[in-house]
Amino acid sequence: MTKTAPPEGSPDYAALIQSIAQRQDRQAFADLFAHFAPRVKAWMLRGGVNPTAAEELAQETMLSVWRKAHLFDPERAGASTWIFTIARNLRIDTVRRERHPSDLMPDPSEEPDAPVQADRMIAMSQQETRIRSALSLLPPEQSEVIRKAFFEDKVHAEIEKELGIPLGTVKSRLRLAITRLRAALGDLA
Amino acid sequence: MIVHHPSEATLAAYAAGTLPEALALVAASHLGHCATCRDTLSTLEATGGALLEDLPPVPLSIDALDRLLGRMDQPAPPPLPILNPELPAPLNRVALGRWWPVGLGIRYRPLKSSGAAWGGLVLAQPGRSFPRHGHKGREMTCVLSGAFADQDGKFAAGDLSEPAADHDEPPVVIGAQPCLCIIASEGMHLRGLLGWAQRMIGR
Repeated sequence: MTKTAPPEGSPDYAALIQSIAQRQDRQAFADLFAHFAPRVKAWMLRGGVNPTAAEELAQETMLSVWRKAHLFDPERAGASTWIFTIARNLRIDTVRRERHPSDLMPDPSEEPDAPVQADRMIAMSQQETRIRSALSLLPPEQSEVIRKAFFEDKVHAEIEKELGIPLGTVKSRLRLAITRLRAALGDLA
Repeated sequence: MIVHHPSEATLAAYAAGTLPEALALVAASHLGHCATCRDTLSTLEATGGALLEDLPPVPLSIDALDRLLGRMDQPAPPPLPILNPELPAPLNRVALGRWWPVGLGIRYRPLKSSGAAWGGLVLAQPGRSFPRHGHKGREMTCVLSGAFADQDGKFAAGDLSEPAADHDEPPVVIGAQPCLCIIASEGMHLRGLLGWAQRMIGR
């Protein structure tokens, strides 16, 4: 696999997760915590979680990062993406007392090695960078539905009411936004 | 080959974690079959990661890291056991009730999940129609084996039906094999015998 250097000036968070996996590196963990815990807390607060629970969920997310570091596969997800999915699943578990199906999936370590397609073997940190730039270029109305869908623990029917636009419009804006985000990764994938 | 996919809105809700568990299990059953939707999901989860990265940080209490460091030697909870080895992941790890006969050639096995949506397995014999649904709220069906057909076309293993409006004609099992599906819905109550069973079972 060709390794692509992370964007200039930003630490290689994927490498920090790997050094936790390889040698229980507490300094790497402290660096990850400093960067991600306050962002996870912010994300929980945006989703309507109260400040005490948001603080606890941010800590639980980071504890899972420590415990699951050996399951992190930098060929399948970037560091932010992986940590986002952990935070998401904990929010569902705590707030709704439900589970996300990905928590019911076998650990990659207990599965026979699923082949990663050659064209998927791209540096995921690069994928995240491209997505961020594509997000900043979305038309405001598409950016709004994407942000609402991710930040606020709301179903699309609630977004419909809040924005005062028909559900069909919410869905078509989402579809257009997703098409653009996928296109941003077009020559990567 | 997969013909029928979930909508982008459904995949976005799955990625964001806002799809109720029973509906998410139906979507996950499709994702297990469909590389195209897994690819879209990975874009959407990366979007979640990018949005997380761009959020203005909110500081935790000063001793948050120290308190966490004290807990890091505790072992991780064990993975959930496999309860239904005959079913594909993730359905093999969910708790299911018993099979209930809900009509001639139709059986229903409820998911024991709580939450905003309910669901279960439906097994229908060749030529039988699935019970009619009254669509209030979202409803999804994913075929696990066998096939059915309705006004939207033919649905075989991995295909996901997410009807937008009321179906006039109930889906009918086609081919010589029974059809096993995972279904889920919110707000909707089934009519007829399956509706009766649903009320008896309590969900």
